[in-house]
Amino acid sequence: MNNPTQNDNNQKILLFLCNWGAHAAFQTLQDQRRPIPDEIHMVRTPCAGRIDRALLLKAFAKGADGVALVGCEPGTCRYGSGTATSQRNTQDLGRILDIMGLGSERLRFAGFLPEQSEEMLSFLQTFSANIRELGPTGIEVAPLIPPPTVTTRKQELQQLIAIHDIHACQDCGKCSSACPLALIGKPFSPRAIAASVIAGGLHSPGVHENVWSCLTCGLCYARCPSAVNFPEFIKDLRNFYRQTELPGQETHGGFFHSLMRSMTSPAIRPKRWTDLPADIRIDPESKTLFFGGCAPYYDIFFGKHSDVDTSRILIDSLRLLNFFDVAPRLLSDERCCGHDLLWSGDKQNFERIARLNVEQIQALGIETVITSCPECFMTLHTTYPAQGIETTFKVVHLYDFLEEQIDKGAVGFKPLERNITFQDSCRLGRLENRADLPRKLLKRLKPLKFEEMKESGASAICCGNCAWIGCDSYSKAMQVKRLEQVQATGSDLLITACPKCQIHLKCAMEDPFRREQLSIEMMDLTSVIAQTIRWE
Amino acid sequence: MSTQEKNHQTEIIVTGFGGQGIIMAGRILGMSASLGDHKESTLVQAYGPESRGGACNAQVIISDVPIHYPYVNNPQILVAMSQAGYDKFAAALAPDAVLLVDQDLVNPEKVPCAHFAIPATRMAENLGNKMMANIIMLGFCTAITEAVSSEAAHATIVQSVPKGTEERNIEAFNKGFDYGLSTLKGREKRAAGQTGALVP
Repeated sequence: MNNPTQNDNNQKILLFLCNWGAHAAFQTLQDQRRPIPDEIHMVRTPCAGRIDRALLLKAFAKGADGVALVGCEPGTCRYGSGTATSQRNTQDLGRILDIMGLGSERLRFAGFLPEQSEEMLSFLQTFSANIRELGPTGIEVAPLIPPPTVTTRKQELQQLIAIHDIHACQDCGKCSSACPLALIGKPFSPRAIAASVIAGGLHSPGVHENVWSCLTCGLCYARCPSAVNFPEFIKDLRNFYRQTELPGQETHGGFFHSLMRSMTSPAIRPKRWTDLPADIRIDPESKTLFFGGCAPYYDIFFGKHSDVDTSRILIDSLRLLNFFDVAPRLLSDERCCGHDLLWSGDKQNFERIARLNVEQIQALGIETVITSCPECFMTLHTTYPAQGIETTFKVVHLYDFLEEQIDKGAVGFKPLERNITFQDSCRLGRLENRADLPRKLLKRLKPLKFEEMKESGASAICCGNCAWIGCDSYSKAMQVKRLEQVQATGSDLLITACPKCQIHLKCAMEDPFRREQLSIEMMDLTSVIAQTIRWE
Repeated sequence: MSTQEKNHQTEIIVTGFGGQGIIMAGRILGMSASLGDHKESTLVQAYGPESRGGACNAQVIISDVPIHYPYVNNPQILVAMSQAGYDKFAAALAPDAVLLVDQDLVNPEKVPCAHFAIPATRMAENLGNKMMANIIMLGFCTAITEAVSSEAAHATIVQSVPKGTEERNIEAFNKGFDYGLSTLKGREKRAAGQTGALVP
């Protein structure tokens, strides 16, 4: 046991090592046969700063118990900014690991000069000892499902075509004439995908690429005279592709997919809601649960580039529940709802996380789940039962709750000295067919002016991406088009209903050449209501 | 009348235009009290030209003991659904009385007592029938004053309204009732200094 190199627990520590200063020190240790702990697995990289947060997290998602990012001492980076970037990445991911319940102490950054081999050895030994003490992370990678045989795959594809009644497609082209991707100029056509898949061209290049770039916004389904549910078809096709190929379509380096997949392990207990403002009332015995969603992770991740604050939506939701005397229960170990896993083709992990969520919520005797995220709402309310995961609790969107309470009367709104317009969420507006719901609330507000965009309600354009996959220059062009529509209304406040709309549109506003023309303040409808609602 | 007896007795005036269902509201109040809550009640209703379009009124007394005199001079509850009706009875309000008005139809000035307002007619229009304003007002009155129990009012409404409209009238009553509860809650919150959802 006293042997510092002995690895009894079969733990793994991934060491990302900078090619320059630090690697020389490591090589000295190897040359001198110094006792490097067994669990250290070294990956040599050109610069520690190039190991982004997605790669660091992926190491954990794939089974590492600790990750050390070892680069150069501040000021000695060969490329100038590598050390600062590594420190920033380590800090960001540390905060995320804390919320995930893994703990930031499993990730370390250190910098060494070439001659500091003994210092590096003591760092590695201390870190290994710490990780041994912490034990395994508890992340279990979902077992690999052996790829089906060619015959079963063919049968499955035929089944898919039959279930979604793709043969009903009349090739009329209404889908392509409505599809926001096609309209922005991308060579993309829902009916062409349908026809190719029927004709056996599942792997022809246009089809494969476009299945992954579809927004699944549902506009084509809304227009289709034969009611071919294209978003559902795409969702299943993605799962079909995923059975035989590696992931690779994820944006942000697959960061969010690693995050979600990590949370599918039962042993992972996130630590959410740790920094709630003191005035918020929570009742740990309540039968009403507020399901927040992934906002805190988003804010840390995107905080590197922009100042999104989607956690505010959650805080304001809780304040509104409190306003109407509802002190909800919160899950301190709340996981992701699994929406993005399913919509990026990972049905296996979706089912794992969905079952965990349903078991947990039902074991607590929860009767009502309230959520302000349109994706969580659709997933818990509609997708779980549709995927065969039965639930005994009622799922309510916060807007429904608010509309019901405000309709009882004696509640009014302070004037809002802004000209407003509204960006619909695809999930709530089209896939759940509830475009009227946020509008009921919007009509109660007292802005200077509320003007709808050229395409709004059931015809609204998507914010540009869904399920963290397939972002490209066409997504950006779409976002710019949407922001131009926003500007055309003459509004100075864009009200959104989904945290991702804020993130994506904010990203498009970063365009250095068009920042002035496109930029507009954004606020979630929940926050606007929380700011202006009052007892009469 | 001894003071003790007076404490057992609630005197109500419902007033408004003829045709708003004022008399019916009065009758439902009285019947709910006697048939549902097993108390004594009387109703004096305005006959004549008022009940066909002028300022009309229904006077209701609800009591735990037999009622000797059915007219109301100083109402503890005044429900006003027209300005003329309010003007006529405002002078009779004592400081401990409660005034309930339709806020779109009555503009009460210098009210000597607690008063509550509801847009009953507007709400009835939103429900699809202006004629249900009286039932909404009844729900509001039940929530604020607790003169009758809401169960008794439900039962009486079902018996009194035209066949086929029971469900909609119950919905209207509940709407007014919820508005009343919400109003009370709002006052409580404002009194406690919590007007909005954010911390000031």
